[in-house]
Amino acid sequence: MPVEIEHGCARATEQLVPIACKISSISEETSDVKAFRVQTLEGEKPFDCEPGQTAMLSVIPYGECMFCVSAQGEDYVEFTIKKVGYVTTQLHDLSVGDVVGLRGPYGNWFPADGLRGKDLLFVGGGIGLAPLRSLLTYVLAHRSDYGRVDLVYSGSTIDDLVFLSDIQGAWTEYPDTHMHVSVYKECKGWDGEVSFTAPFLEKLAFSPEGRIAILCGGPSLFRTCLESLEKMGFPPEDIITTLEMKMKCGIGKCGRCNVGSLYICLDGPVFTMAELADLPWSAD
Amino acid sequence: MSDSQSIQASLRSRAAELLASDQVAELIGWGAGRFPDQTTPLFITQADQAEGLVYSEYCQNTLGKYAITELSELVADQGKLAICVRGCESRGINRMLKDNQIERDRLYLLGIPCSGMKNRQSGELLSKCMNCSHKNPVIYDELLGETVAEGEPDRFGAVCALEECDRASREQYFDAAFDRCIRCYACREVCPVCTCRECFVDQHEVGWQGKQGNTTENRFYSLTRAFHISDRCVECGECERACPMGLPLMVLNRKLVKDLDDLFQAGEAGLDAVAVNSLGTYDVADVEEFM
Amino acid sequence: MLLAKNRLLELLEHLSTQARVYVPARLEVASLAGESTDSGTLSHFVQYAAGVQPDFELVNTTLPPKDMLFPQTQKMYRYGFDTDGVPYIDPIHDADEVVVFGLRSCDMASIDCMDQVFLTKGYEDEFYAPRRQKLLCVALACGQAAESCFCDSMGIDPNVAANADIQLVAGDEAFSLSAQTEKGQAALSQWQAFLSAGELPVAPAPTSCSLKVEANGLKDKLEQMYEHPLWEQISKKCLTCGTCTFVCPTCHCFDISQSNRMQMGERFRSWDSCMFFDYTEMAGHHNPRAAKMPRVRQRFMHKLCFFEERYGCSLCVGCGRCVAQCPVALDITVLIDQIGAAPLDEKQDVEGAVHAG
Repeated sequence: MPVEIEHGCARATEQLVPIACKISSISEETSDVKAFRVQTLEGEKPFDCEPGQTAMLSVIPYGECMFCVSAQGEDYVEFTIKKVGYVTTQLHDLSVGDVVGLRGPYGNWFPADGLRGKDLLFVGGGIGLAPLRSLLTYVLAHRSDYGRVDLVYSGSTIDDLVFLSDIQGAWTEYPDTHMHVSVYKECKGWDGEVSFTAPFLEKLAFSPEGRIAILCGGPSLFRTCLESLEKMGFPPEDIITTLEMKMKCGIGKCGRCNVGSLYICLDGPVFTMAELADLPWSAD
Repeated sequence: MSDSQSIQASLRSRAAELLASDQVAELIGWGAGRFPDQTTPLFITQADQAEGLVYSEYCQNTLGKYAITELSELVADQGKLAICVRGCESRGINRMLKDNQIERDRLYLLGIPCSGMKNRQSGELLSKCMNCSHKNPVIYDELLGETVAEGEPDRFGAVCALEECDRASREQYFDAAFDRCIRCYACREVCPVCTCRECFVDQHEVGWQGKQGNTTENRFYSLTRAFHISDRCVECGECERACPMGLPLMVLNRKLVKDLDDLFQAGEAGLDAVAVNSLGTYDVADVEEFM
Repeated sequence: MLLAKNRLLELLEHLSTQARVYVPARLEVASLAGESTDSGTLSHFVQYAAGVQPDFELVNTTLPPKDMLFPQTQKMYRYGFDTDGVPYIDPIHDADEVVVFGLRSCDMASIDCMDQVFLTKGYEDEFYAPRRQKLLCVALACGQAAESCFCDSMGIDPNVAANADIQLVAGDEAFSLSAQTEKGQAALSQWQAFLSAGELPVAPAPTSCSLKVEANGLKDKLEQMYEHPLWEQISKKCLTCGTCTFVCPTCHCFDISQSNRMQMGERFRSWDSCMFFDYTEMAGHHNPRAAKMPRVRQRFMHKLCFFEERYGCSLCVGCGRCVAQCPVALDITVLIDQIGAAPLDEKQDVEGAVHAG
């Protein structure tokens, strides 16, 4: 039975107008990645969401950006954000207690229910672990419902690896949960694997039998790892990914994330590779 | 045979020869549009496509700007890029050469003397052609047809007349124009001088230009663009022709050209590919009204 | 029902006391010192007020009527901090009752397209929906087609605007009016004082477009043409300006940005164009549609294929505005012919073609 992914399952509580929220904690993951926990001004969780969903975070008065919710708790949602552009630079200058705008959640989600009983292979690079983290933490929180869990994760150097404390700590403590981490080039403080993600993945040689791969990373990682997974025998319907496109509205109206007949913000961002094969889309 | 028919005949035969001999890899001219007398820019790469070239008195598109995109896609050793150049195109080419946007040795310029183009609907001379000061190309590799007599253009007639109007009516006039602007940026895209890698309009992070469509933002856009191109404007008038909303852009441009002429004896831009820009140089004798 | 032509202004005057009334009118282009441009007649839908001269002969207005529902700039909310430092985010809902008088069939069809976008697929757009609810559409049958009109090839009847609240047909002395919706019926009963019973003595001959294209099968053909060399060919002359997008009655893509005064500001949405480089440019400057070809392809694929796949109708209504206004005559009707004639066996993966999301 292939895993079914829902599409176009809109349920945002806010459409285009955000609610005022505050930053309740900030943790520095790397020199340019921070995780921000966000809650309402009253200290409550802004909304419930499923692993893989996105939300629009704004820095008053600079602008809005769409991010994947990387984790959630009783009274917060968390975003793990790399400083790459204008708004993310402003975000990185914020402190605990500062006000942000938040609207969402948007898009579809990872099929956490459909994946029950399966072995899961998470493959990610750099900041691409942020969207995977939401599903990974969900799976670990319901550990006995799932089979073996593997994470193959890489970054350029040790400074590009996010959630390293979880990867080397908390996540390893779950049964049958295996972390495989590499960096692309030798660097100070790293005595583990040095390899690009795709050859590393191939060396680990995962059997596609009863296993679903969940892939997220930049264009080159995406392309090469996809090839590797195909080489290992994973059929496209057993490879799940989450797409990135420029987004402004989040509700399938503004047009820019249009791919074929779909809007990534509303119908995606989560697809199987089998679904993407039917779309005029490529990893570039 | 009219002049334009004979130019069309020689254009087709020279285009076929140049493409067949691989001297040029691509040629940019005009082809027929769907409607009577309508023409449209045409890009050909094969000798047998030369029959599709059209030259008539309705070739309203100024083609020079295409040199940048087409050269960027053309493999350097596969032949040159040929472009039809009239006075307006040739001055734009000079300007782009001066601005290091294109390379002369990769271009083959088919010069065309031009007596002015007409609007196919009204049959009247295009307003951009009315005060043309260079009907003959100022740079070319070969000339198709005989040179035509240059006229006595009144380049600054409309500017002088506007300068005579009182401030309030000028303001009302320009604000009504800016109010019509839909910010499609056709004027920028078609301009041989608008070659900034990143236009100030697109520098969202700095935020010079708001995305609002209103008189204030539209005015800011048009005036900033006019100032930015002022000492390089080759007066081809293509911005104004391309504008779907009929903004009098050439009055703005020529006002600045005239001022620079008065202040720095700037002369006409794009007559050669070496002249310095009046605002890009400094002379101790320059007027300094504000010091 | 009939409305005598000499009572039209009275009716518009009356309606404008209750609603904002829009009519097609020429855009006066002043000439202060004898300077001229080549733009020809410019026109748009303008709010009726004393001095406005409606012109029901205009086919079609230079600018489409979409800004009544989807303004070029729409303020969505104000934000900032009050004097106690408490943040506020205040939505701006400003929909008024609007009557638009003199829409053409293509214009009405474009509103149907926008309704699909803004009112379906899980979200009723909170700024569009109230405007749409308060809009009364009064369509006018076309007495003539412009050179660039091709609506009847796109399945639209220039003589009857399906889904308009009221359909007008112009006779010599009067307009005939028929209500096509309950809202239209209600409006007509309120306009009784200006109307008289009866029919036009001579029904005008139906109009058809002289420009024809074959639109049947376009979507299916295009589904196989995403990587066709045709896109590289036709995009060469495109300037990637926004003219076609902004004069198009159905183009609905928007940007969201803000204008600020210190820590206070307004966030607004504004017309955007898939022709622009920055439309898909992401943080860190990655851009899946950086080159010209993928942008041109996106616009036409969206118009003629993707939209129909998603909503079941074409996003081109054949109004011909882009045909008339494109500064380089990149003509969608010529493209439709070229698509129809394009061989599918041609090598599709053109070298160097940029794949785009």
